[in-house]
Amino acid sequence: MVAIYITLLQVFILSSIYIKMTSEDQDEKEKHSNWLNAHYDPVAGFYTFSTCITFADLNGDGDHKLVIADLGTGLYNMTIKVLKGTSIIQENTLLDLPTGVTSVYMDLAEPRTPGVVVASGSGLFVYKSMRPYYKYNLPLLPVLPEEAVLWDQANNENLDPLTLAEALDGLKKSHPTSSFTARTSHFLQIENDADARQFVDDHKHKPLKRETVITCVTTIKKSMAEDDAISCIVVGTEHKQVYIIDSEAFTPLQDYEIASVPVIVNVSGLFDVDFRMFAACRDGCVYVLKKDSLQSRVCIELDSSIVGMERIHKHLIFALADKTFSCYTTRGKQIWNLQLPADVLCTAVMDHRAKGFKAVLVGLDNSEVRVYREKNLVDIIKLNDRPQALCFGRYGREDSTLVAVLASGALQVMILKRTAEYADHSSHKGPPMSQKMKLNIPKKTQLFVDQTVRERENGTKMFQNFQHDLQLMRLSVAQTYLKGLQSSMTPLSDDPSMPLKLSATVRGIGPVFQMLLTIENTAAISLNDPKLATGLIVLFKYSDTIYSIKPLVLELPALAPEISYKFAVRIHCIASDRPAQDTITALIVKRGTKKPLVTANISMPVSEGVIVV
Amino acid sequence: MSASEEALPVEKEEKSDKTNVTVVPTATVQSKPKIRGRKNTPQLPIIERRNWLIHRHFVRKEYDTCKSLIQEQLKETRGQCEYAIYIQAMIMRNEGDIQNSLELFQACHLLNSKNPDNLKQVAKNLILLGKHKGALECYNHAAELGEKDWDICHCLGVCYQFLKQYDKAEASYQEALSRNRHIVTYSALSKLYLEKDEPEKAMSLLQKAVEFSPENTELLTSLGLLHLRKNNFHRAFELLGQALTFDPENYKAILAAGSLMQKHGDYDVALTKYRVAAQKVPESASLWNNIAMCFFGKKKYVAAISCLKRANYLSPFDWRILYNLGLLHLTMEQYASAFQFTSSALTLKPDHGPLFTLLAVALTNLEQTENAERAYEQAAKLNPTDHHTMINFCVFLHNQNRSKEAGKVLRKFYKNLPTEKNANLDKEMLDVGKKLSAALNVGDKLVAEKEKASKKKRQKDGSKTAPSTSKDTATSRADDDAEGSRGPALKSTDLPPLSSSKPANLPKLPPLSTSSSRGVEGDLPKRDDFTSGQPTMDRPKTKNKPALLAE
Repeated sequence: MVAIYITLLQVFILSSIYIKMTSEDQDEKEKHSNWLNAHYDPVAGFYTFSTCITFADLNGDGDHKLVIADLGTGLYNMTIKVLKGTSIIQENTLLDLPTGVTSVYMDLAEPRTPGVVVASGSGLFVYKSMRPYYKYNLPLLPVLPEEAVLWDQANNENLDPLTLAEALDGLKKSHPTSSFTARTSHFLQIENDADARQFVDDHKHKPLKRETVITCVTTIKKSMAEDDAISCIVVGTEHKQVYIIDSEAFTPLQDYEIASVPVIVNVSGLFDVDFRMFAACRDGCVYVLKKDSLQSRVCIELDSSIVGMERIHKHLIFALADKTFSCYTTRGKQIWNLQLPADVLCTAVMDHRAKGFKAVLVGLDNSEVRVYREKNLVDIIKLNDRPQALCFGRYGREDSTLVAVLASGALQVMILKRTAEYADHSSHKGPPMSQKMKLNIPKKTQLFVDQTVRERENGTKMFQNFQHDLQLMRLSVAQTYLKGLQSSMTPLSDDPSMPLKLSATVRGIGPVFQMLLTIENTAAISLNDPKLATGLIVLFKYSDTIYSIKPLVLELPALAPEISYKFAVRIHCIASDRPAQDTITALIVKRGTKKPLVTANISMPVSEGVIVV
Repeated sequence: MSASEEALPVEKEEKSDKTNVTVVPTATVQSKPKIRGRKNTPQLPIIERRNWLIHRHFVRKEYDTCKSLIQEQLKETRGQCEYAIYIQAMIMRNEGDIQNSLELFQACHLLNSKNPDNLKQVAKNLILLGKHKGALECYNHAAELGEKDWDICHCLGVCYQFLKQYDKAEASYQEALSRNRHIVTYSALSKLYLEKDEPEKAMSLLQKAVEFSPENTELLTSLGLLHLRKNNFHRAFELLGQALTFDPENYKAILAAGSLMQKHGDYDVALTKYRVAAQKVPESASLWNNIAMCFFGKKKYVAAISCLKRANYLSPFDWRILYNLGLLHLTMEQYASAFQFTSSALTLKPDHGPLFTLLAVALTNLEQTENAERAYEQAAKLNPTDHHTMINFCVFLHNQNRSKEAGKVLRKFYKNLPTEKNANLDKEMLDVGKKLSAALNVGDKLVAEKEKASKKKRQKDGSKTAPSTSKDTATSRADDDAEGSRGPALKSTDLPPLSSSKPANLPKLPPLSTSSSRGVEGDLPKRDDFTSGQPTMDRPKTKNKPALLAE
């Protein structure tokens, strides 16, 4: 007990030191930074995404709160937290993983207080004044008629579980997996009969439902563009649909089918007037949805998966998984394309109303957040860890606040300085730095100069000498080669009647060695003539004061072409008093001839001395 | 510092440990009972419920988190979750485990045989494994299941290209482009055209591509290089300049643009550009060659030689570098070295006329008149219209007091001299020509005609005594020749980028080495061998090909 207490104490002390140190660090950085570090909590322990963070004026008093939907461990402890200043003021538990959170003005009541909508599983959970207010489930998807019939029969016990399973399995062959109900897919996972029976029994009285899962959520203003005008909720689902839901009555106003699963939906316009929705999907395409038609149309095909999509006026800006950062018109024409130095983790829009511009924040794997205005990099914010989620907006009474949740779970809040200048052009302009670097060229040395002078003076002579020596060398090479050929001193025989190849390896460290001779008849195989090399023996030439070899003469069998024969010879180094090393010559001789066919010189390794015990 | 940074948040309280992102896997066991409120009838979670989370982590390349999530999900659904398997396979592919990834995609296909995407991924893995025929089948099958989209068409093109069925590949690429315009397809198709040796088509295609995506530096550079190859210098420079505005560190564009600047004598500007490239690609032989030739232009010979030697070290079998080395040593009056470099260049490239001229000049200065003459003859045979060869040959013959032959050569020289404007012939050469013709008393008529045509004033008459003049010029000629032939050598070197875009050239290189081995054996013993033994290889004119060595 005491020990735990002490460790906790230590941890506390350490962490306070740590915070102090980081703040000192920050001070240095801040001198040339556009951001003030307002709050840093390294142990906040958030697990969330950019879509799960929003700012909202929950009490209608102009004091904006930070709402974070926390995924907990990814399995449990899912909560929605409201932060004011540096502390959490409210916390509600969620039942399932939150996909996104957004604040919506749902009515015209004064004071104007928005509801917080949390998308989770297949439902929208609406909180008002941070109290649970309403739960809306997305409309159920149609169940396959065949499937419904089967379950119906099973429920009336006309069908035993085994046949049911078979029938469902059969059905599965002709329909994609996603078109079945959760009940069917769970039922098909059951292996034994009793459990299956139990399963059917358990679910007998429940309606057969086919639900979906929300993948993204956003809002669209209904009929007016003011900040606090009533909005509708836009939801994308796992079953490739996009719904627009009225936030007053909670009824679906419109629904669209698209070709892939939406990941991010971005909306422009007003629901009652005209609008366009851009749905970035898992297949790397962006589909455009319009008010008038229920048809979706591919607008942009990207080369990689989409990590972030932001819209700035009429341009769509994408951060892709292949580290590209590009801008397209809403018609699908690429305007520019940049390469980012690291993988993208998250993006956010920075809408700086006071200065009247919008920029895109890109959180990168190298712990940077880059600020791009158009294609110009205007600022780089260094964080302590990889940013997991970013959100820019009004927090408290501060208009331009950036909230970053780091991969370690830390929460960092930064405020944009009022003096911050984000010029329209890139901060880095002009020729690249490397243009000023000097080329690495070696200096002229005295030796070089001397050589040059010498050559200038005696060029002709040098040339002639060189040519002369070259000729001599060639001559002597040719002579040696000829001599070798004539006396069969080479390990290769090109005698057409007996082409042989000899090679040898020596094994061991001494004083006893094994020499492995590899002999090959290199004649080409032909069907009518076996071309056997017969009557050959191997002899060794060596100094008998140093080595003794057994056997002295190696009688070779008839050698067939293209097979390498291996023969082992035992060599004993008898000069034990000193480290001995010599060359042994192996000769292949044909019986009855004086001249060897092939010769191999084997230089022996140094032998270990004999250890006398 | 960094240790405490990581350790602290975790230790401080256990709760924060659990909420940490990375801890997802450990939570598995405890969470089981909590997943759903299991009253009498548990609510069934749908199998796709965590797909969005898996996807979100996948696109952020957080593979570890992703893998543990997938395992969790597969456990929960007993391997029925198609998307989880799909992403698992994607991760494996990204990590290089293509075979296993292929098996997983096939498993996906078994789970859901209606989804063309699974088949597409199977096919993509087959391409990566080099099984293009299998991939073709897969793609065709996928096209039957769903729409034949850009992706399928493009990949079919890739497969056909690998299988050397160029016509089908072209058709597939065209179809892909008609479905959706992608830069990848544009550049693949342009490469295909180059492979098929249809640069015209490649150019018009790239032109379209550049209009489609005006800021793509890769496309701009490739198009610029194609224009350069067509000697369309103005347009080439424009395109390369555009590429450099968008990406000032684009190595290929720098090299090509720099070479153009060098061509116009802007050595300092070219050098500043090369500095950028030298930081980026310090081991490019072509780059160092071009830098050296800039120094040569600025008459900084020692720097030029050291740069060339570096280039030669980086790419020892590039004859152009050896050529330039020979040229520089001639300029430095180091004739023996010049001879060495030129002759090794010749073993690599035995059919290049100007090389023989260089050799001949070196030999002349080494007092090897007989061999020099043979070298000249060979040069004239290989390249009978080269002015530098002719004028040097003429000077050489004149110095040998063989005025008759010299006169003949001079006539040839004037005959081949291009008339007027486009001729940016250097004046020195023309002057020497005049002096020679005065001394030899030949071709006055011809000269006069030429004069008119080129509208150049005759500056002075051969006031000096003929022999001395020509003696002087013989050496200056060497320099001059150097100057003149530097042009071609340079040009060929800066083309590297070009040829890299033209992989077809690569296979042609091997002949170099074989010829070099032959050269070493046979022809060096006697200089005279040059004339007799050199088989002229039938290769396209140097310009684009040497390039390969660059990349």
